Amino acid sequence: MNNQHDPAILSGAFAGLEAAVNRALMLAPASAKDLAEMAGTMIAIECTAPKLEVFITIEPSGLLHFAGYNENQPATRMRGALKHFIELATAEDPAATLINSDLEILGNSAPLIALQQIITRMDVDWEAPLVDVLGDVAGHQMAQLLRGVFGWGGQAAKSLRRQLSEFILEEGRLSPPAAELEHFYSEVQALGLRVDRLQSRLQRLSKRISQHMQVQK
Amino acid sequence: MTDHGQSEDTGTDTTDFGFKRVKSEEKASLVRGVFDSVAARYDLMNDLMSAGVHRLWKRFTIELSAVRPGQTVLDIAGGTGDLAERFSRLVGPQGQVILADINAAMLEVGRDRLIDRGALSNIDVVQCDAQYLPFPDNSIDCITIAFGLRNVTDKALAMRAMLRVLRPGGRLLVLEFSKPTSRLLAKAYDAYSFKLLPFMGRIVANDAESYRYLAESIRKHPDQDTLLEMLEDSGFVDCQYHNMTGGIVAVHRGIKA
Repeated sequence: MNNQHDPAILSGAFAGLEAAVNRALMLAPASAKDLAEMAGTMIAIECTAPKLEVFITIEPSGLLHFAGYNENQPATRMRGALKHFIELATAEDPAATLINSDLEILGNSAPLIALQQIITRMDVDWEAPLVDVLGDVAGHQMAQLLRGVFGWGGQAAKSLRRQLSEFILEEGRLSPPAAELEHFYSEVQALGLRVDRLQSRLQRLSKRISQHMQVQK
Repeated sequence: MTDHGQSEDTGTDTTDFGFKRVKSEEKASLVRGVFDSVAARYDLMNDLMSAGVHRLWKRFTIELSAVRPGQTVLDIAGGTGDLAERFSRLVGPQGQVILADINAAMLEVGRDRLIDRGALSNIDVVQCDAQYLPFPDNSIDCITIAFGLRNVTDKALAMRAMLRVLRPGGRLLVLEFSKPTSRLLAKAYDAYSFKLLPFMGRIVANDAESYRYLAESIRKHPDQDTLLEMLEDSGFVDCQYHNMTGGIVAVHRGIKA
């Protein structure tokens, strides 16, 4: 599958990705420990557009190995276009996105679910590398600052989403609220049913009139 | 990238040593001289000359090996032991890796490095000639020879020796410089090999001649398709090759039936 790409370039890309992911895992020892329990599990990700395949193997240390070539049978294979993988990666609810997306899952889905849960629980400790570089006091202060920035960033994003939603629904009246929409849909549905009943009644009356006319003749 | 190991047969009593013709029996000692000279700075020069890309070539070679825990791997012309170290982790404590090289200076550097990294528990270090491998028939699961085959005096003899020691189903992987697939890249590569490479050899290893030999020996090495035929002629089956970095390097794979 990866034949159309230079293996050295792919190896370089995978090596870089592997180093970044494993560095993050080393800062989240609980996640690495959870992953170590899945040692030996291999997940294949097959991107159909552009054509690319990556095999992710969980090592006994809990770190991940990325490869472009593997002859073993993966436990799980995910297949789909790049845009579907991006949708999944950026989804707020990956499980729901996975079920509703065009991604194809072959093999055992349990390792994939376990991996998703580990990633969701992943808590990266920024303090350790900062303390190594900056020393105890400055490293701790910087880590606190980063935590604050990330925490604030997360809160700010949530708050912005909420405020934007409120503006669209309440202030700007640009879109009706969900309850109003639901009510409108059920009204439309009820109207449709009433129209159907009226149509049947008219047909019945029309039939009776024509029968009555024939009897008079 | 430097290379190491052994030399080239022509069917007569002379062979190539870079662009020169030398007596076949002299090539091994001439090659030994080159690697005695570069051994101490071999890894540094590899990184400098390939801008670190040799690590990616080797990474892909390891992927192709499909080595599993418990297997036996022979790394011929393994020199400073970078492949052996990675295989050591793959085969685990139940497996075995044999680091082999004809050159004692290279093996010494490799062995010291493996000791420093605590990686010798399942690695044996053996000084031997690739043409006359001192291992039993059908005893090895995977053989790799990285940047070493072109220095072997009689490549066909070495390939037959490798076939003999491989288990049925075992595989040989030959990682070696080859012919660039694009003419433009070939020109740039020539300029790099014959001008910049000896210059870097002089600056870093204080040895321009050895690095000139390395560049010349690459040009004398068979191209991708010729080496593929040689593998098939030696008795390997399901042979294939993968070009890397535009064909500057190729990894050939052959399976013992």
